[in-house]
Amino acid sequence: MHGRRRQALKEPSVDEKEQSRQRVEKYCALNNSVMSLRANNVFTASALDQTKRLLELNTELHTVWNYRRQVFEHMDLWQDTEERQRMLEAELGFLFEIIMKNVKSYWMWNHRVWTLNSMPRADWKKELGLVAKLLALDARNFHGWDYRRFIVSNLKKASEGSSGSSGGEFAYTTEQINRDCANHSAWHNRSKLLPAVLEKASSAEAQKSLLRTETDMILNAIYTDPDDQNAWLYHEWLVSIQPSDEDRCHLLRDKVAAIRELLDLEDEKDEASNKRPLIELVDALAALDRLEAVTDTEKNECLETLRRLKSIDSYHVGRYSDMIQSLAQRWDLGSEHTSTMISQ
Amino acid sequence: MSQASDPVKSEILLVEKHVEYVKSLDKKHDEIEYWMTEHLRVSGVYWGAVAVHLLGRGDALDRDGIIAYILSCQNDDGGFGGHVGHDSHILYTMSAVQLLVMYDALDKIEAKRVVDYVAGLQDKVTGEISGDSWGEKDTRFAYISLAILSFFDAVDTIDVGGVVSYVQKSMNYDGGFGSGPGGESHAAQVFTCLAALAIAGRLDIVDRDRLSGWLAERQLKSGGLNGRPQKLEDVCYSWWVLSSLKILGRVHWVDRSRLCGFILSAQDPDAGGIADRPGDIADVYHTCFGIAGLSLAGYSDCPLVEVDPVYCMPVAVIEKAGLRGWASRLPKEWK
Repeated sequence: MHGRRRQALKEPSVDEKEQSRQRVEKYCALNNSVMSLRANNVFTASALDQTKRLLELNTELHTVWNYRRQVFEHMDLWQDTEERQRMLEAELGFLFEIIMKNVKSYWMWNHRVWTLNSMPRADWKKELGLVAKLLALDARNFHGWDYRRFIVSNLKKASEGSSGSSGGEFAYTTEQINRDCANHSAWHNRSKLLPAVLEKASSAEAQKSLLRTETDMILNAIYTDPDDQNAWLYHEWLVSIQPSDEDRCHLLRDKVAAIRELLDLEDEKDEASNKRPLIELVDALAALDRLEAVTDTEKNECLETLRRLKSIDSYHVGRYSDMIQSLAQRWDLGSEHTSTMISQ
Repeated sequence: MSQASDPVKSEILLVEKHVEYVKSLDKKHDEIEYWMTEHLRVSGVYWGAVAVHLLGRGDALDRDGIIAYILSCQNDDGGFGGHVGHDSHILYTMSAVQLLVMYDALDKIEAKRVVDYVAGLQDKVTGEISGDSWGEKDTRFAYISLAILSFFDAVDTIDVGGVVSYVQKSMNYDGGFGSGPGGESHAAQVFTCLAALAIAGRLDIVDRDRLSGWLAERQLKSGGLNGRPQKLEDVCYSWWVLSSLKILGRVHWVDRSRLCGFILSAQDPDAGGIADRPGDIADVYHTCFGIAGLSLAGYSDCPLVEVDPVYCMPVAVIEKAGLRGWASRLPKEWK
C-alpha cells in the first residue's frame, strides 16, 4: 500500500458499508468464476473475456495472466496466422490501457513481452515509439527502461538499421540527458552503450575525442548539481575506462582542479552544500595516490577534509571515521594521529 | 566519536499493537484488500510471521494452521503458489519454505520435489534463473534459488558459477546491481545480489567501498532511506539498504538513530502496523521490513530478536538450520 494516506478513524456509513460489501461480492464472484474455468481447462472466448475483466480489476493476479495465455494458445483461431495477429494486436491495446494505470506491475510487462514474442508480425518500431512516450511521462521508470532494452535487442535482431542500434540508443540517452542532466536512468543506460560506441570508433584519436566529449558532458552535470552523487560516480567510471594510466592521472588532476573551483564558488553558502565535492576531493586524491605520488600536504588535506565532513554531515560520521582510519593506515600516519582524528 | 547533533526524539515501538495488527489480518473478510491480495497470501503470512518473531512473539500465530495452509499451496510441480489453487512461482516457494523453516516443519515436505522444481528453473546455458515456467528472469530469482536450495543443503544441484556470473553481469558503475544485465541499480536488487553472493561465498566480486558509499547516500534528511537517487524515502528500504550494508559490514555508515526515528514515526498508533511513510495506511509488508530494519539498526528501547541479513529470518532460526556460515566466508580483506 505505497502512498495511501491514513484517514482519521471514522465509522463508515450504512451506504458505504453496503457499497463495500457489493464490491467484495462482485470481485469474489468473478474471481471464483475464472478460477473454476481454469480448473476445468476451459479455453474459450468467454474465458478470455472473464480474465480480461478480472485483470482490469486486479493486475497482480499472475495465475490469471498465465491462464489467459493458455487460453490463447489453445484456441483454434491461434493456429490461423492472421487471426492470431489480430487477437494479439487487440491484446496490446488492452495492455496499454492498464499499463498506463499502473506502470509498476511486473506481470503486465511480462505479458506484453509474451504478446510481442507470439505475434506473427511484431511491430518493434511502434513499440519503441510507445515506450518513448511512457518514458517521457516517467523518465525513471525502470520497467520502461528494461522493456526498451528488450525492444532494442529485437530490433537489432530484425535489422541492422539505425533505430535501435547502439548508436541510435546512445543518441537517445544524449537527448534525455540534454533535457535533464540529472536523469540517472539515462546515464545508466549510456554506461552500458558507451563501450560498444568506443569500440566502433575508427581510430584511437576518435576514441579519445569521444571520451573527451563524455567527460565534458558529465562535468557539465556535476557543475549543474554538485550534490548529485551519481554524476560523480559516472565520472569515476570514466576515469576507470581511460586507455592509459597517464590519461587517468590527467582526468583525476582535472577533477581535483574542478572541485577546488567549486569549493571556492560555494564558500559563501551553507557549509553542508560542500559535502559532496569534499568527499570527491578525498576520493580523487586517494585514487591518484594509487597511480602517482601525492604530496604529504595532499595526504593531510584528505584527513583534514574527512574531519571537516564529520562536522558538516552528522548522518555519515561512521563512514568518514572508517575512511580516516583506512587512509591513515595506508599512508602510515601513526596510530596516535588516527585516533585523534577519529575521536574529534 | 562525535554523535549526531540533534538526536531524534524517541518514540516507542508499539509491540502489542503490532502483534494484534498481524493477528487481525486474517479476519478482515469484509475488506476488498483482503481479497485483492489473496494471490500472495503465502508471502503475507511470511511477512506477518517474521514481524511477530522479531518482536519476540513467535507464538502469536497459529502454527498448525499455518503449516496446514502452506502444505495446501504446494502444486504437482513441487513449487508453491501464493494461495491454494494458484500457479507455482519461485517467489511464493521461497515464502513457503521460509515459513516451514521458521515453524520447524521442513520435514513435512519432500525435499526432492522442491529442489527439483527450483533446479529446473535454471537456464543451463546462461545460468539465469526464471521465476516460473513462463521464463521471466531476474536477479531476485537468482538469490531465491540459492536461498531455497541452501535450506535443503542442495545448492550444488544448480550451476552456482552460472548464477554468480549472471549476478556479476548485473553490476553497474555505481557498484550497485539491477534486475538483470543492463538494469539500473536499485537497493532491493542490491540486497538480492549481495545475499546471493553471500550464500555462494563470492562477495569478493563486489566493489565494497563504492557500493557502501552509494547505499549510505540512500539516507535522506528525515532519516528514512530511499531505493534509488532522487526517490522518496520508504520504510521498506530500511530493510533492503540496511541488510545490504550489514552484509558489507558497514551498517554504521548511516545514522541508525535517525533511521529508527523515521520507522517509528510511520507506525499506526491506533490500529498498529507500520506504513511506507508517516501518515499512510499500514500494511504487513512494511510492518515486517520496518521491524526488521529496527532489528538491524540495533533499536534498543525494547528487546528485539536479531534478524539475519541474508535470509530475513531470526538469527537463531538460521543458526539452527546451520546456515550462518555465510558470515565466515566473507572476503578476508573485509575482516
